[in-house]
Order: sequence, then C-alpha cells, then structure tokens
Amino acid sequence: MLIGIDVGGTTTDAVLVEGGRVFRSAYVPTDHDNLLGCLLSALDKLTEGVSPYKIERVVLSTTLITNMIAEGKTDPVALVLIPGPGANPKDYHLGQDVFILDGAIDYRGREIQKLNESQVKSTALELGNIGFKKIAVVGKFGQRNHVHELKAGEIVASVVPGVQVELGHRVSGQLNFPRRAATTRLTVATKDRYREFADQINAALKNRKISAPVFILKADGGTLPLDKSVNMPVETIFSGPAASIMGVMALMPTTQTSVVVDIGGTTTDLALILSGKPLLSSKGARVNSLLTHVRAFAVKSVAIGGDSAVSVNGDCIAVGPHREGPALCMGGPCPTPTDALRVLGMSDIGDAAAAEKAMADIAKRLCCTPKEVAQKVIDAVVDKIVSHVNEMFREWEQEPAYRVWEIVKKEKLLAQNVVGVGGAAQPLVPLVAQMLGAKAVIPEYAPVANAIGAAVARPTLTLNLRIDTERGEYIVAEEGLTGRADRKNMNLEQAEQMARKLMNERANKMGIGEYANEAEVTYSEIFNMVRGWSTVGRLLDVRMEIPAGIIPAWGRC
Amino acid sequence: MAAKDTSNKTGKTGLIFFPAFDWAISPTHPEREERLLYTRDQIFEEGLMDLPEIEEYKPRLATPKDISRVHFCVPNVEAQVTEAHLIAAGSVLTLADAKEEGAIRNGFALVRPPGHHSMMVVHGNRGFCNINNMAIMVEYFRTRYGHKKIAIVDTDVHHGDGTQDIFWHDPDVLFISFHQDGRTLYPGSGFPNEMGGPQALGRTLNIPLPPGTTDEGIHYVLDNFILPVLKDFKPDLVLNSAGQDNHYTDPLANMRFSANGYARLNEKLAPDLCVLEGGYAIETALPYVNTGIIQAMAGLDYSHVREPDYVPGKFVQSAEMKRDIEATIGQLQEIWDNRDRLVEDALAEHGQFYRRRKRIFYDTDMINEGQEETVRLCDRCHGYMTIASQAQKGYGILNSAFCVSLPRNACTSCREDAREEFEEHKEDSKFNYVYLQDKQKDTYHSYETRTRNQRDY
Ligand SMILES: [Zn+2]
Ligand SMILES: [Zn+2]
Repeated sequence: MLIGIDVGGTTTDAVLVEGGRVFRSAYVPTDHDNLLGCLLSALDKLTEGVSPYKIERVVLSTTLITNMIAEGKTDPVALVLIPGPGANPKDYHLGQDVFILDGAIDYRGREIQKLNESQVKSTALELGNIGFKKIAVVGKFGQRNHVHELKAGEIVASVVPGVQVELGHRVSGQLNFPRRAATTRLTVATKDRYREFADQINAALKNRKISAPVFILKADGGTLPLDKSVNMPVETIFSGPAASIMGVMALMPTTQTSVVVDIGGTTTDLALILSGKPLLSSKGARVNSLLTHVRAFAVKSVAIGGDSAVSVNGDCIAVGPHREGPALCMGGPCPTPTDALRVLGMSDIGDAAAAEKAMADIAKRLCCTPKEVAQKVIDAVVDKIVSHVNEMFREWEQEPAYRVWEIVKKEKLLAQNVVGVGGAAQPLVPLVAQMLGAKAVIPEYAPVANAIGAAVARPTLTLNLRIDTERGEYIVAEEGLTGRADRKNMNLEQAEQMARKLMNERANKMGIGEYANEAEVTYSEIFNMVRGWSTVGRLLDVRMEIPAGIIPAWGRC
Repeated sequence: MAAKDTSNKTGKTGLIFFPAFDWAISPTHPEREERLLYTRDQIFEEGLMDLPEIEEYKPRLATPKDISRVHFCVPNVEAQVTEAHLIAAGSVLTLADAKEEGAIRNGFALVRPPGHHSMMVVHGNRGFCNINNMAIMVEYFRTRYGHKKIAIVDTDVHHGDGTQDIFWHDPDVLFISFHQDGRTLYPGSGFPNEMGGPQALGRTLNIPLPPGTTDEGIHYVLDNFILPVLKDFKPDLVLNSAGQDNHYTDPLANMRFSANGYARLNEKLAPDLCVLEGGYAIETALPYVNTGIIQAMAGLDYSHVREPDYVPGKFVQSAEMKRDIEATIGQLQEIWDNRDRLVEDALAEHGQFYRRRKRIFYDTDMINEGQEETVRLCDRCHGYMTIASQAQKGYGILNSAFCVSLPRNACTSCREDAREEFEEHKEDSKFNYVYLQDKQKDTYHSYETRTRNQRDY
C-alpha cells in the first residue's frame, strides 16, 4: 500500500492507495505552526488498524519552506558574490547582506581574473565578526568552472568557525547567475530547519514501525528520498499544486491537452498539461519576489474562488479579489459565488434561504431577479478563469525560441479537457470547459487528487553536462564533477551516451537508481568552434532529466 | 531628441534575441551558428531577461509583402530569403509594433542574419546580407504607423551601402553612417561626397574614419556632428544599425572601439530601436558589447562591463588622427549646413529626369550587377523611379529585371507614368522580370515575362 499526504493551505489530505484504488482517505485541518503534528495526525487517522508492514512507500508534501520564505523566517545568510565583468550586482536586487569579491570566470569557464585570496580572508573575517553562521558563495559562470567558488568557500570555512557554506554550482548547472545566487541563499537559509523536520518525520515513522521508504514531493511533481532532499530543501516549495497535477496525471492518463482547474475558497490554481506533459515554468519558480532556478510546474494562481466577495459597482457586479469570510449561506458576512451556485441550483451546499437573500439584496439595487444576479456572478467568475487560461496558452506560445525550426514549427495547442480537482465549486468546471470548447472532466476521487498525486509520483532528477573539446574538459556542475574530454570531434550522440552514464551514477547516489532508465535528453546542443577558417573544437551541452511521472505500482497508467 | 515619443506606458526596453543557432551561410563562414553563442551565455548568465527593465519578445515571421515594400527580389522573395531571414526581419517588426503600442520605450533586435549591405534590388547575398532588416522596419513604420521623418545611424564598421542605396532619393530619411575608411575596408564606399540623390542631397551623410579610431574619435563624431544633426533634423524616430565590428578585437576590421564606448554611444544616441548588423569577434567583443548596449538602452549601469584585457586608456588617439577626423567632420558640417541650397542647385541643373549607372558586386555569391536608375524630378511628389538591372554570374547572364517604384506621396501624373512603364516593360523580352512597387497603395506586383505570370502582394 502507498501513502500520500499533501499539506495544503487549509487542509491536509491523506490517502492510502492500492492497485489503482483509494483504500482509505483522511483529512485534518492544516496547522501551519505545527506541520509535523498535522502530518502525523493525518497519517495516524489514515493507518488506523493497518499493519505498518503493509506500507510500501510514503510520500509527503510540506509547506514548511514555502511558509518560512513567505513569513521571512529564514535564517540570515551572507551572500558572497564573485560577479566579474557585466551587470552591476545592485541591479539584481538580491537584498541585504551582499558581499562582493574580485575574480572572474568567463562564459567558457576560463579564469579571466584571479581570486584575491587575501580579500576573501578579510571578507570572511568581517562576516565572522558580524556573526554570520551561513554563507552562500556564488560566482558568475561558476557552473562552467567552480575553482573560485571552491577556494573562496574553503577560505571562509577555515576563517569562520562553525560556518555553513553553500556553493552556487552545486545548486544549479544552468545559466542565470542572479537566480543561482537567490536559490543558493535560500538553500542554506532553510537547510537547518528542514533537516530538523526530516529528522522528526523519520523518528515519528520509526516510532510507528513504518520502515517503508519515505519521499518528499517537489515543485516539479517529482519525489526524492527524504534523507537526500535535505540538501535541496527549496525544491519542496509549491508542492501543493504539483500534487494536484500529478493526481490528474494518475487519474486520467492521456496524451491530450488539458487545463487543470483547482477552485478553492479564495484562489483558483490553473495548470496546463500539454499533449500529456505538465508544463514547467520556463526558467524556474518565482518565490515571492525572488526568481529562482527551482524547477516547478507553471501554475497560475488567480484571485477568485467560492468565497470571493461579490460587490456592486454602479451597474456592474464585481467578484473578488478579496474574501471577507465564508459564503452567506454558510453563515458568512457577504454574498459570494457559493451563494450564487446555491441559488441557481448548481450546488446544495449551505442554507438556500440565506443564499437567496444574498442575491436578492443585490437584485434590488440592479432592478433584476436574484437568479439573474446569480447568473451574472457565475459568468464573471467563469470569464475571469477562462481569460487566464487563454493567457496561459498565449504565454506558452510566446515563449522565446532561439532556433529557426522552433519558431517555424511551434504548433498551436487548444485545450481538449478541463479537469476539475479540489473540493470547492466543482459545478463551475463544465462552464469553463464550455467556453473553451473543451470536455469537462471531474475525475474519480477528485477531492483527494492531490494526495493521490503525492502517493504515486515518481522521482525526478536533472543533470547538466557541458563539454568543451577545445579546452579538453567536461563538467557536471551539480555534482561538482569535472574531467578530461579529449576527443576533439565528439558528436552529440557520444555526449548523450556520456550524460546517460553520468545520470545513472547520479540517480544511484540519490537512491533512485531504478528510475535512471526513465531519463530523457530534454535539451542538447552542439557548436563547432571555428577560429580562422578551421574547426578547433566543439561545445556540447546535454541536459538529461527523469521527468515527472507515475510509479508503476499505481497500476493504472 | 526633441520629437521623441514619450507616450510609452512601461519605460521598458524590448529585446528580441534570435541567434539562429541552426543557420549559417556555410560551416566556417563568420556568419555561422556560433556567432551569438557566447553572447547568449553572457546575457543569459547575467539574467538580463529577468530584469524588470527588460521585456523579452518572441519574433514573428516577416511576410513577402513586408520585404517587397523595400526590395525587388529577383526572381522572387522566396528565392532570396530563408526562414532565418524572415525571422530576423520579423523581429524588427515585432519590436516596431511594441514600440508603437507603447509597450516599450525602446528596443534592440539582437538578431542574425544582418542586413545593411542589402540594396533595393536583390540578386543574392552581399556582405553577409540578403535583405535589409533596418529598411524593412523603416518602411513598415511609415506604412503602418504613418511616420514621416526617420533617422538611421549606422554604427557598423562597414559602410551601410545597402541602406544608403535604398533611401538615396528620400529626403525624409536621414542616413548617417560612420565607418572605417572605404579605401581600407569592404565595401570600399561611404565617402563624404556620397550624399544622396538630387532631391535628397545632404540626407545621406558618410563619415569615413581612419583605421585605428578609438572611443575618443567616435565620441567626438557623435558629440560634435551626429547628435547636433539629429537635433536639426527632428526625426520621429532614431534607429541604430548597431554593428559591433568597430571593436578593437574584430577580425575583419581595424578600429579600436570598446564595449564601454559602444554602451556610451547608445546612451547618448538614445535610439528608439537598435538592430544588430555585423560584429565577428564572437568571444572577445560580442558578449561584452551586447551586454553593454542592452544595459545602456535599459538605463542600467554599464560601467561594470569590461573586456578581460581592457584597461581605461588602453588606446590613445594620435594628434594626426584627431586632425584627420576633425577635417572630415568640418567637410560634412558644410554639407549639412548647405543641404537645402545643394538640392536647389541640383534640381536646377538636372532636367525632368535624373539618371545614374551603378555596378554592384555581390561578394558572397560572386554576382556582378549593372544598374541604370532613373528618377523623375517631380515638383509635386518625390517622383517615381525605375531601375533596369542585369546580373551576371561567371560569364553567363543570371537574371535581368526592370523595377518601377512609386513613392508614398506619388502625384497622379507619376502614378500614371509609372503604371505605363510597368505595363510597357512586361512586353520587353530584354527583361526576365518586371516589378511594380506601389508604396502609395501598399501593393506589390511581379511579372515573369517568359511565363506571363503575375504575382501581387
Ligand atoms: Zn560590418
Ligand atoms: Zn510626381
């Protein structure tokens, strides 16, 4: 049996699944001040009377890191940058406590300015005196050559006793220095708290005699063993929407294009599954105002939901964006879409008379019937959701591309399905689907799709291999791995083979070796380097990923 | 500029980066896949696209009509352009729209292939260019948005002879090109005495500079000539044909301009839109120059951009070079100050028609073209123009074409005569193709004499 527990904003949902069916589900209200407690009480409710030995796998999501960042409760970190030539680091808006070091690496990974070791030492002393215990060291093009980051990190660690140092190249091998800096800082700022959480989970499971492997859900819909995830706590942000999307992938496997709509009390989360593959945000997640390298599904949160306040502005009805409380029909303070649904007979939630009165009050002011008001409210909600869905498709179509074929061949996709998940306002899904010319789908188990998604999501993993045959080197930044690449005329196929081999090793190290075969090349490029009129070498880049997917044990896909 | 549009709502700099990573003239040609690779690495690593000051756009494809507004492509547009050309040209149009809609304050089309050596008639590739992205943007701005006066400043090290050819007779387009002296560099033209057709004298301004000109020399030209001239001309738009081969490391030229010099130039010039032209120091210059230009346009601090081997004061301008540049500017100032009188005198001297013969060499495709160009010097409009063109490749005749162009403000009589020229030459077996470019009606016609097939855009 597989366990999935998804900690959401208001409730924590848990399921026990076996053979493609939900054996049992449970939920508890989420207590953000005691995430561990609510995870465990959901777990206990779920496993009551179930032998711990029957549990084969446990997957959890957590809002711990998301909340820490949102509430500004992350640990103080000194961000030490080695920016070299280019932008003024101030233009990156990386916040307080930024320290700058001399030294530079260029786009090919060549040292163009030496690290100034005595400056590193004096900076380290200064950081120690200020009292920093956590330091992120990030160099521009550090992913192409990490000698400066390593050396600077080493000096800092030797000068400041007990300091925790995080190096940029270990966090991401992709281009984008400010994102790498922000992600590295967040990583070291949340690591301790996250490790504590992971230890508590491990202890609690041990107490309950659950010895099944434990995984944590990430923003890209993948899982990682809990004890490996302690090195990358930031990847656990936004796992809620990821859980829902994985739930849809598990409950209705298809190669079609679908919009996933999760209508909640105050917000509606929208996501796209394009030709069967969930759309990732193109460069990485935005966390509050910080842009990161964290791989995450492209989720759009629209400020509208069942509890959005309905107001009248002249002759117009406005819905949201704020919430004043529950619906009137649920004893709340002001009219909401939930009341409108009740009046139209589209739901049977709450007190009919109170809902009727909510609409009647507005109807009087607009000289129409309560039913007409209710219809207008629902139209406004549906319009807003539909326009955001269209915007998402437009943004996807407008994503820049850098090759002729990508621009010429990019197809136009239309939604074929609108899939409703989550508990609230399911009656709206068919209306949204109708306006998009798509089929409305409410999958079986829709209210706990998120927990199912967690239970059956498989691990994901990324590896970036870069080879510069003119310099005779290869590098896998995330692994801190470099080596010789002597074949000047290496081709893409050989590079991809090499990446696959390295991916196998990386997956084994991560404890997910059995999924290494699922790895795909998601990006690769090769450039001949011509100097004068002759070819002097090649630059090859291969990105390999185990993409989001469903484990075979689910037994449905 | 005094006439600068300030109606934009965002203050953003629009950027289209289209490196055409899957397109090359040939595998080892300077215009190959690798050209903007290190520029990609630098600007992506800098995270420039994420900055709130910058908005990245995706290019669209230009249409044959967009291209026909400028060029007579022989035999047709499809034969002269690849999809890469359509995307590069489409990029400038995408930014033109964004600019007009007020979505951006200014913009940079960091795209290849380049265009400024492409002339009005196109038989093939010359100077790495097939179609002129800048000119296509200018004509689009005028047709779609009704702009009248436009200034183009060509900051590539090579003379922008294609752009010059296209706007030679047009008094409403000011074309200024500074470049390494044509006696020492391709394409061998661009001297001060090339100053436009009889009705547009002084609206083409060529500033040849001695090899080895430094930041100081180029900024002298900018401060003392280009900026004041732009102030006089009061264009609706200032556009920069932003080549990067004045850089001190460029392998195809001999100037000593730095990345900081380029950034400062764009800050002072404050162009509405920039279009990349040449620049082939793909590692030592382009990553830094492009970063600097983007920052300058976006109002960001570019003082941290520096080539690894650059130190301020690396190049010092000699007294001789200084005198040389000042003398050139003195000569050009005289042309500019007297431009209206020059036009008057020229119109008095020529009769109803002005004719010139040209020989054009297409270095990339090894084509020789002979042209006879005729413009009516009309007092009611800019006059229609015809070009009889014959292209040779090796010893054989490649193609011959008769091209008729009608200006936007064509008078009835020019319209009728141009139409007549078009119809008449359709029966003339001397020409394989006959074209009518009607900018007034924004319709474009091509006719193949052998098959009697006409195509209209
Ligand atoms: Zn050039
Ligand atoms: Zn006329």
